[in-house]
Amino acid sequence: MHLAALSKIVLKNLEFQHDWTSLQEHVQSNLPRSLLFGLPPKRLYVHPDEQIDIIKAEKQLKERIPQEPEFEWVLPLHLSEKWSPCQFAAVFDAIEAIPPPGAAQESVGLDYADAPWRLWRGPKRGKRILLATVQDDSTVTYYWIHDGLVKPRQN
Amino acid sequence: MAAAASERQVRISRIAGRYLVFDIEDVVHMRRHHGICAVLTGTMPQNPTQNLFLGLPIELHAEEAKLLVDKKAGYIADELSEHLSRLTGPDEAARKAYIQSLKRQRRAAHAAFEEEKAKVRAQHQGKRKAGKKAKQTPAVAAESAEDDASTIGVAAAAAAAEGEQGESLFSTAPPKQPAAARESPLPGITPTTSSDLLLPCPARTVGDSSSSMAKDLSPSSYPFYRYLNSRGYYTTPGLRFGGDYSVYPGDPFRYHAHYLANSYGWDEEIPMLDLVTSGRLGTAVKKSFLFGAEKPANEGAVAGAGGSEVRVFCVEWAGM
Repeated sequence: MHLAALSKIVLKNLEFQHDWTSLQEHVQSNLPRSLLFGLPPKRLYVHPDEQIDIIKAEKQLKERIPQEPEFEWVLPLHLSEKWSPCQFAAVFDAIEAIPPPGAAQESVGLDYADAPWRLWRGPKRGKRILLATVQDDSTVTYYWIHDGLVKPRQN
Repeated sequence: MAAAASERQVRISRIAGRYLVFDIEDVVHMRRHHGICAVLTGTMPQNPTQNLFLGLPIELHAEEAKLLVDKKAGYIADELSEHLSRLTGPDEAARKAYIQSLKRQRRAAHAAFEEEKAKVRAQHQGKRKAGKKAKQTPAVAAESAEDDASTIGVAAAAAAAEGEQGESLFSTAPPKQPAAARESPLPGITPTTSSDLLLPCPARTVGDSSSSMAKDLSPSSYPFYRYLNSRGYYTTPGLRFGGDYSVYPGDPFRYHAHYLANSYGWDEEIPMLDLVTSGRLGTAVKKSFLFGAEKPANEGAVAGAGGSEVRVFCVEWAGM
């Protein structure tokens, strides 16, 4: 399947089935293929340690901390593809942890900018990509792939 | 204590291509100081289908054995050649010590038999006494007790005599039996372990043969395993979750596994379906799927000092 068609399927799926916004294709010369990034309707990933920090902070502040969504990277793939660790490493080496619009958003002054739970959205955020695997029947399933050892969520 | 622990050399027996450890002290040491659990494989000879509670020996992965050798915390002994060389070796003192140890075992067995016999005899007498309580006189009992004592004394003398002669057993023809003392000879036994043969651990084994043997054991997953071990992770075989390892953040007695892990080659192509299915399985059991590979050293010249670089990735279901 042509790569352009593949990313189009994923883009449409994210836009219309999962209600993502600000979707955009990201082309970069050192990437094996173009990535997508966008803003999901609600927050997709909370690191287990971040969750602990949030609960601690909520207890201290005695109020809920709103979890606004973050910009995420998306890598479109077909299920019949085969990727080597080398290729995954190349993708991770080429990207920043936070997609460009997200980075711009973070740089704007925020409340609690240096609170422990806040850091997970900025400097403490590890590189992660949403693997969008497309089947021939145009089903798309999504998996997180993290760079390095990241402990599993307690779901 | 700490010094002794750091200097301890784990003896890894290589038998039929498997790496086994027979010493319980070594097993404890590996688990405590090197984060190696390995797998208990021993069962009871009389009930080999009993596989719920297994015991010694413990079987190591090839990469675990290699890690111990590389950390200079253990050495590999090829049991077949080692045993043969010990049994036929010219070292007279070692041979004597071994023969003495066999004697000791036989004497212990003999003592156990005698004790058993005496117990049975005492029981019978007790019954007889109860039967003819009225007739029985204490004199008879005393007499029979005296009888027992004398036989035990004779046996002990025989044992001592044989112990002295043991040294010459192999070099000359067996000397004439000291006549009267032969009524209860030491029983023949089949030693269950050959640990006595290995008692004086020679330093030479550590260097030569084991390092050459470690060279030909270089499992492809070794860099990945070493990466996990150096970060304090414990591993157990991962087949029950369809991977190479289950990876624990500490001792498996205390923690649940965090990852199911697979090791690949740097350019090995992984079918996306494998990532998807393993990721899904891992999420279903509250783990994430970890895979990694060693980056070949020649790509970056900087790698030199620290050795190779291992890259790992974690996959879990995104929940959407």
